[in-house]
Amino acid sequence: MTDDTPPNTALLPSGLRDLLPPEAEVEAAAIAALMETFSAHGYQRVKPPLIEFEDGLLAGSGAAMTDQTFRVMDPDTHRMMGLRADMTPQVARIAATRLTGSPRPLRLSYAGQCLRVRGSQIAPDRQVAQAGIELLGVDGPAADAEIVLVGAEALAGVGMDRVSFDLTLPQLAPTLLDEAGIIGAARLALVRALDRKDAAAVAEYGGPLAGLLTDLLLVAGSARPALDMLDAARLPPLSAALCARLHQTVQAILDQAPNLRLTVDPIEFRGFRYHTGVCVTVFAPGRHEELGRGGRYLSGDGEPATGLTLYPDAMLRALPPAAIRPRVFLPWKTSSNQSAALRKAGYATIPALQNGLDPTSEAARLGCTHVLRDDTAVLLTTES
Amino acid sequence: MTAPFPAASLAPEAQHPIILALPKGRILAECAPLLERGGVRPATDYADEDSRRLRFPTNDPALDVVRVRPFDVATFVAFGAAHIGICGADVLMEFDYPEIYAPLDLGIGQCRVSVAEPAATVGSDDPSTWSRVRVATKYPNIARRHYAARGVQAEIVHLNGAMELAPGLGLSRLIVDLVQTGSTLLANGLQETEVIAHVTSRLIVNRTALKTQPEAIGAWIARFRAAQLASEAI
Repeated sequence: MTDDTPPNTALLPSGLRDLLPPEAEVEAAAIAALMETFSAHGYQRVKPPLIEFEDGLLAGSGAAMTDQTFRVMDPDTHRMMGLRADMTPQVARIAATRLTGSPRPLRLSYAGQCLRVRGSQIAPDRQVAQAGIELLGVDGPAADAEIVLVGAEALAGVGMDRVSFDLTLPQLAPTLLDEAGIIGAARLALVRALDRKDAAAVAEYGGPLAGLLTDLLLVAGSARPALDMLDAARLPPLSAALCARLHQTVQAILDQAPNLRLTVDPIEFRGFRYHTGVCVTVFAPGRHEELGRGGRYLSGDGEPATGLTLYPDAMLRALPPAAIRPRVFLPWKTSSNQSAALRKAGYATIPALQNGLDPTSEAARLGCTHVLRDDTAVLLTTES
Repeated sequence: MTAPFPAASLAPEAQHPIILALPKGRILAECAPLLERGGVRPATDYADEDSRRLRFPTNDPALDVVRVRPFDVATFVAFGAAHIGICGADVLMEFDYPEIYAPLDLGIGQCRVSVAEPAATVGSDDPSTWSRVRVATKYPNIARRHYAARGVQAEIVHLNGAMELAPGLGLSRLIVDLVQTGSTLLANGLQETEVIAHVTSRLIVNRTALKTQPEAIGAWIARFRAAQLASEAI
């Protein structure tokens, strides 16, 4: 058999897509609104390049994205370059190199596109937009809380006021295992069981920790009851200190935003490979994808830092359809003053490019909402 | 642009019942006493395999039951189409969906995933010398991982049933399959040579559902836990 059908030029590689009107504009507007909130809170924007040398991109906290990074060779230097799969390590690099002289706490924001080598069956996108903030140079519950509060405000600003923030302690499980001296193959099996909240496997591999870990699996849930259960659990000193910090962070968030939906899942560590403290994942009710994630990590030379990255693609899928800017059709030779006034009033103006066409039918054909008639923008109705 | 689908986030959560996915076949019968003890009474035809209906209301308006193939329970729950489900550990091992949590071992549906081969070839050569081996199975990932861990490539012949025929007809050297009593193996001249994993059914939940509806999902986990403890006590 021969395969001589020419490939369809509309076919894109898996995980990539074209954004068409109006979604492309809605996305741009949403990102602009997020960045505006970040800016209003004093986060100054940086713009790292799309591609940089692999050894810089994947150093430090960037190492977590090694598997997901596309590489190309720089024909100029013959060094390998990596296309960013995550912007946080780039921003951390900027803070640790070019902005070492800037006063701390340093607040930076960013927005851009990232590429990943693989999508998963459940999250197939390989190009993902990110918009986020990083707060560098301070370690404390107030900083952890600020990230969540600014994130919540930014999301509310684009109409997402029912999101929930899931707070986690990716270091808790490893610390508990360290403190109990669980190592080797049993540890790997146990870590995997904890990741999948597989109670049977936790009981099988947990050894002396089986009871405690099973309790902690069930702690996951609304913040206040979960924290009460955590406080009641008998934890070894380092683990207890981590939980105390989580408690302080939750308190700092609820002090300022008592109605924010917060959940706590102390032994979750999924996807937080470079994180060192309280972390957060953003969910929207009824949606099965994360809207963002962030948390505490060490930047550059061990500088304490925390941040939050939002995923505009996922946000747009969860948002109600946005109101589209009204489009008004302008008949042949409409004065430029008049069309400027309409644009100022919030219309998109679509001028006729030739004489002799019926404005109303042209307006309908081009998908306009209004047509300019007797110097006023008239709403197109189905009858007209 | 991806074709749009209904934005569930726009509707109040309470209007959406929690969906429980149950596996057709062998495990469904074993689920019945557990559901009964948990106070879940689906429409009576849910256990009738001839019923054309796939989705069943229950005595609880906030819970609906769907009946799907065992392998599909994991897929429904992983994608969040069902919030909770009952599913064999074999299926979880095979798909390894990170979106699924398995917070409760229900202790039902006991069996094992095993390697079997014709009694005639058992011991005919030393498996540690193999570079590759041809395996007929409905668990390609489990089989591949099992042999990869000992440095052997598994060449998978993916079948959906009647695995036991494969070695005798020259399709494969071995099979990796679910074994309950071993009588099917015996009847086909096969011998179980290795147990890869012991299997029971688990209560599974979708990760995002647990994060966004912790009260509702947590309450169901607690109900099934109580029902399971009550079953053990008998």
